[in-house]
Amino acid sequence: MLPLSLLKTAQGHPMLVELKNGETYNGHLVNCDTWMNIHLREVICTSKDGDRFWRMPECYIRGNTIKYLRVPDEVIDKVQEETTKTRSDRKPPGVGRGRGRGREEGPSGRPAKGIGRGQDDGNNKGGGRGRGVPGGKGGGGRGGGRGRG
Amino acid sequence: MATGPGLESLVDQTISVITNDGRNIVGVLKGFDQATNIILDESHERVYSTKEGVQQLVLGLYIIRGDNISVVGELDEELDSSLDLSKLRAHPLKPVIH
Amino acid sequence: MLFFSYFKELVGKEVTVELKNDLAIRGTLHSVDQYLNIKLENTRVVDQDKYPHMLSVRNCFIRGSVVRYVQLPPDGVDIDILHDATRREARGA
Repeated sequence: MLPLSLLKTAQGHPMLVELKNGETYNGHLVNCDTWMNIHLREVICTSKDGDRFWRMPECYIRGNTIKYLRVPDEVIDKVQEETTKTRSDRKPPGVGRGRGRGREEGPSGRPAKGIGRGQDDGNNKGGGRGRGVPGGKGGGGRGGGRGRG
Repeated sequence: MATGPGLESLVDQTISVITNDGRNIVGVLKGFDQATNIILDESHERVYSTKEGVQQLVLGLYIIRGDNISVVGELDEELDSSLDLSKLRAHPLKPVIH
Repeated sequence: MLFFSYFKELVGKEVTVELKNDLAIRGTLHSVDQYLNIKLENTRVVDQDKYPHMLSVRNCFIRGSVVRYVQLPPDGVDIDILHDATRREARGA
């Protein structure tokens, strides 16, 4: 699966973006392109040290300033759904997305959706997933994404 | 470039990523591209310090930009489970200076 | 492309890769690509007490852009071949 397909699938979802300069942006993804430039709505920007906040209706971030993006867990399942769907429907090309790097490994491709995301997190102390999605909640006050000044 | 060091062989495996800002993030590699952008699922950060053992922070699903990545290591689960992280003390890694 | 070709010749040899964060990793060169990304096998960090961060890693991918030095095995350098290749490259062949 390509990182940019996952990002594209995350359209409409909340996400957290940390820039190389340490600022973080929480907002809903409106759109993105192949350079990872992204357009967010309902944004809260947090300064590097996490002590100042700005709210803005929308913002546009140039891809090459990004360090990482944190997206809601369930988005990854949607990518898989859509790749299997486009393949079984045999939609003509151009339907975008899909193109999940040619699956050389097995004859049958992916076990269509619902993959239990098993992995048994034994090591994830703290009860594994279920973290509140990084959303536009005020103050973004959970240390999660950042830390270290 | 059939012989190139792609990350194909690591897909769906647990990997340990060292980022340019000195963080260590462990998770399952779900995808990557030419620019070494990667998708990490069920990821957590291992925070090293000299005062206490390694702290683990749950992060979840991450896309890490390639130009922020230094090393992608294949985590040997057996070796890893034999480590007592709570006893490991070390300075955090220095950031990469280009 | 010269260094790409050169590193391809070194596959299978032991090298030490020093990164721009001062971490030095030793291992068997498994592969290289055109960005000079490097894959090492059987890795160990040179100063493990100071850098225990990769204790449970035996194989790794190192992004070419963060490599400061690659320390080569002495027998990995054939000056004559390198000279020739350099001249050929300079001529644009």
